[in-house]
Amino acid sequence: MRTVGVVVILAVVIALSISMLIARDAVTAKINTVKASSGNTITVSPKGFFGFNGGGTPLTTTEINSLLNVKDVSAVQESLSEQLQSTQTTLTSPTIAGQLGGRFGGFGGAGSSAGSAATGLPIRVIGTNSPGNAVVGGANGGGTERLTSGTSFSPTSHADVALVGKALATKNGLTVGSTFTAYGKTITVVGIYNSGSTFANADLLMPLATVQTLASAPGQVTNATVVVNSIDNVTSVTKAIQTQLGSKADVTSTEATVAAQLSPLNSVKTISTYTLFGAVIGAALILLLSMLMIVRERRREVGVLKALGAPNRTIIGQFIAESTTFTILGSIVGFVLGIVLSSPITSALVSASGTTPAATPGGFVRGAGGFVGGGSGFTPPAGATPGGGGLRFANLNSSLTTLHTSVGWSTLGYAFVFAIVIAAIGTSVAVASIVRIRPAEVLRSE
Amino acid sequence: MLKVENLDKTFHTGAGEVHAVQNVTFNADDGEMVAIVGASGSGKSTLLALVGLLDAPDRGSIDLDGVELANLDSGGRTKYRSRQVGFVFQQFNLIPNLSARDNILLPLEFAHWPKEDRDRRADEMLALVGLDAEKGERRPARLSGGEQQRVAIARAFVCQPQLILADEPTGSLDKSTGQKIVELLRSAASTQRATVLVVTHDEKIAQLADRRLEIEDGVLKEIA
Repeated sequence: MRTVGVVVILAVVIALSISMLIARDAVTAKINTVKASSGNTITVSPKGFFGFNGGGTPLTTTEINSLLNVKDVSAVQESLSEQLQSTQTTLTSPTIAGQLGGRFGGFGGAGSSAGSAATGLPIRVIGTNSPGNAVVGGANGGGTERLTSGTSFSPTSHADVALVGKALATKNGLTVGSTFTAYGKTITVVGIYNSGSTFANADLLMPLATVQTLASAPGQVTNATVVVNSIDNVTSVTKAIQTQLGSKADVTSTEATVAAQLSPLNSVKTISTYTLFGAVIGAALILLLSMLMIVRERRREVGVLKALGAPNRTIIGQFIAESTTFTILGSIVGFVLGIVLSSPITSALVSASGTTPAATPGGFVRGAGGFVGGGSGFTPPAGATPGGGGLRFANLNSSLTTLHTSVGWSTLGYAFVFAIVIAAIGTSVAVASIVRIRPAEVLRSE
Repeated sequence: MLKVENLDKTFHTGAGEVHAVQNVTFNADDGEMVAIVGASGSGKSTLLALVGLLDAPDRGSIDLDGVELANLDSGGRTKYRSRQVGFVFQQFNLIPNLSARDNILLPLEFAHWPKEDRDRRADEMLALVGLDAEKGERRPARLSGGEQQRVAIARAFVCQPQLILADEPTGSLDKSTGQKIVELLRSAASTQRATVLVVTHDEKIAQLADRRLEIEDGVLKEIA
């Protein structure tokens, strides 16, 4: 009965250890995934530049390309944003300046006088070297361009081609192969995209080199997105970029936002780590105390065996075998129990940590649409149609609660090591106690 | 032949020094049964522990067939006990979760007897102490006190030791059974030419021995 009790208690504690190990692995994997894919971008824009407001001297392609040499930078996406006035194109903007749009129209920067309710708003042209990949605060400041028809252009293209936002295409009756005039040139539509963003769907995406030529802005860049290999390196890379570009550029990152999102998961990781070690130590203590109790109860038996000529190693071997049996039985039951319980325990830990799938209001990313137009007034992007980083963080937040627990070889290996540690600690004191037993003292007490 | 000379053992306790065995000297021949009598606390069990090398003497000599044992190290004492000494205790001290037969087999294992001879030897010993095979398969709890002590005697003799040390072997038995056990001890000693030291405070049991020694406050003297 006692054996069953010891095994059951050991099994429960080992199950807790396994669950914590699996939970920790799942959370760590999720954190690593998020770190490798989100919040690892840095936005670089000319100093003082804000949407189409503010001043600032444009950065150059040379300056931005030099950032590829900064340690831990894995990619750089460049863009040049220009406003295409109604006098410069045959296109009509689908965006109607509402009450706030009209009010802010005066702040639209150069040529913004066209942003009135009567004439419609200027059309934003984004020259980019990463077409279709401007999601990370890139060319159109967020949103993911999904081609609904046609094909994209090459990042290094110099052709007079454009990807047209869905709303702009509809407004002007454009399809793939259609042409329109801009900057006095005939531009061919090679694709129609839908980004899910009202602003971005009213834009034109063109090759960076083409826009730089047509807008008479050779080598100029108004926005760059630097992709860092891990969120852990964002701070150091931000500092390095700021140092490299000096006062020419504003360098901002979304690291803090993502770090805040990951904070609950880090808490879960910490809790599971401490609980894991606590459970292992607990299991070892349970076995240690059980073995001490058993040795104490069988002190006379040990004395008799020694009197009969049993060497210490033989007696110790018997107790180690007993302890190992407890550990193996407890480990088997505990392992199965732990695997079964790991998923609900992980979910409970994540829920309790405060990580909820509720969407976080989208952050306003510098250069993401600015204050241009906006229906009946500017509404911070959120919910179903987030603008800028809103979509990104809403997706990130909902994915944080989706943890997949699995048992890999490493988990099995750790579990085996823990079992060895438990057995070793649990037996060590008992062994020392056995060695100290003197048969004469035991038998004298008869 | 067992020769014990000038054996001393002192325990250091909180209350001071206790001279449990003082300058003890005696001999015992092969096949001889010697009774050591004395009151509780007189030092008889300590003397038995010293001769059985369960404890180390402070001074003196223990010679068994020309081999000096008092100076053996721990490993040597363990080896000596496994091959040359058999113990019989008042409380039998059989291993409770082993059958009677397995209890008898234990010393053979410790003494590294050839595996093929162990079963035969255990059966011989069961027969010697008057227990059948069915009793041999029982665990100690399912045997009477007398039967348990028979198993203990079989266990003590199984390795054919030169020395049998019995500490109050009849203390937990009724008079009739106790007498039979002592007779069994004597018979086995005679058969196997082993020297038997029996510690007892029962004069009637002691009278069954070949010689009687009395110990008082650690000092041993022969009783005529």
